[in-house]
Amino acid sequence: MLNAGKAIKVSIYLSDGSTHHGVPVYSSILDFLFFRGVAGATVFKGVAGFGADHHMHSANLVEISDRLPIKIEFIETREKVESILGKLEEMAGSGLIEMQETTVAKPAQVSKPSKPVAPEHLKIEGNAQMMRIFISEEDRWKDKPLHEALVAAMRANDIAGVTVYRGILGYGAHGRIHKDKSLLSSHRGSIMLSAIDTAEKLRAFLPLVDQMVEAGLVVFSDVDIIKYAYRALDVEAAAEQTKPGTVSE
Amino acid sequence: MKEQFSARMLRVHFGEDDRWQGKPLHEAILAKCKELGIAEAIVFRGIEGYGSATRIRHASYWRLSKDAPIQMTIIDTEERIAMLLPHLDAMVEEGLVATSTVEVIRYVRTPATAQT
Repeated sequence: MLNAGKAIKVSIYLSDGSTHHGVPVYSSILDFLFFRGVAGATVFKGVAGFGADHHMHSANLVEISDRLPIKIEFIETREKVESILGKLEEMAGSGLIEMQETTVAKPAQVSKPSKPVAPEHLKIEGNAQMMRIFISEEDRWKDKPLHEALVAAMRANDIAGVTVYRGILGYGAHGRIHKDKSLLSSHRGSIMLSAIDTAEKLRAFLPLVDQMVEAGLVVFSDVDIIKYAYRALDVEAAAEQTKPGTVSE
Repeated sequence: MKEQFSARMLRVHFGEDDRWQGKPLHEAILAKCKELGIAEAIVFRGIEGYGSATRIRHASYWRLSKDAPIQMTIIDTEERIAMLLPHLDAMVEEGLVATSTVEVIRYVRTPATAQT
């Protein structure tokens, strides 16, 4: 980590066409700097220039030159630069390496906490509750189908997940037999929503269900959950929530 | 109106082709539930599955296969469910019944709200 204060700026001048073990020199130098933990490095492509051989290289659309000048620049502490300089000289080959004293006024900040390259597969186990809500497909809440409104409300209240099932036949609190005539796009089916989360979160959501569901059945049951997830930034928080013991009584 | 009680939930699994006295089994069970005054019964058709007969059941729009897996969810008090179980024993020839104890909140439209 580079701190404010005295540092060394290193510039390496290369020509575009040069290769090191078959890959462009700038690319292998950049990899080397990256894996040696250099704070940061930038590769510049020149539009024209000449070097030790006094041969002019320029970008010309008619005769596309692949030997344009390349400059790699990085800033590091003196100790770090000295530790990698030997290898850099070898890699740069015929190129020129320049060093100058510089002062870092403000070191760069890590913009985001670094994420692991490959997402890690997570398995979280714990106790939770399943809430099933039985309603009719024609039930409405503020001009919206009730099941859609419930899903939106659950999402807004951060309920872990919900699935809506349409029954092909059924009856409930309203007492009417619902028969699915999906080909006639009848909207008289029985609907079941199945939501899973911790007991506390589902109970906290219940007052909303009270308001929204006029006629229907809400069924709670205890479930053991096994949750598969990819490691995300907030995984620690999620693991905290679903840790057995903090989940339900 | 809202009431809260402890209840039993049955989930009955069988195939859509299963019949009882010439009627589709799920319709027959649903009618029986209604007759017994069971609070909630709903029939779901699965898109794929297999059961005790170990044949893969598959609902396909293209092949119009009718033997899709059926799951019925039935909920009421312990006593009412106990009344239904002997009927299920007689009607379900091949299938699976899973029971669990659940906590139920029932919302019923009061006459005042039903009129609006």
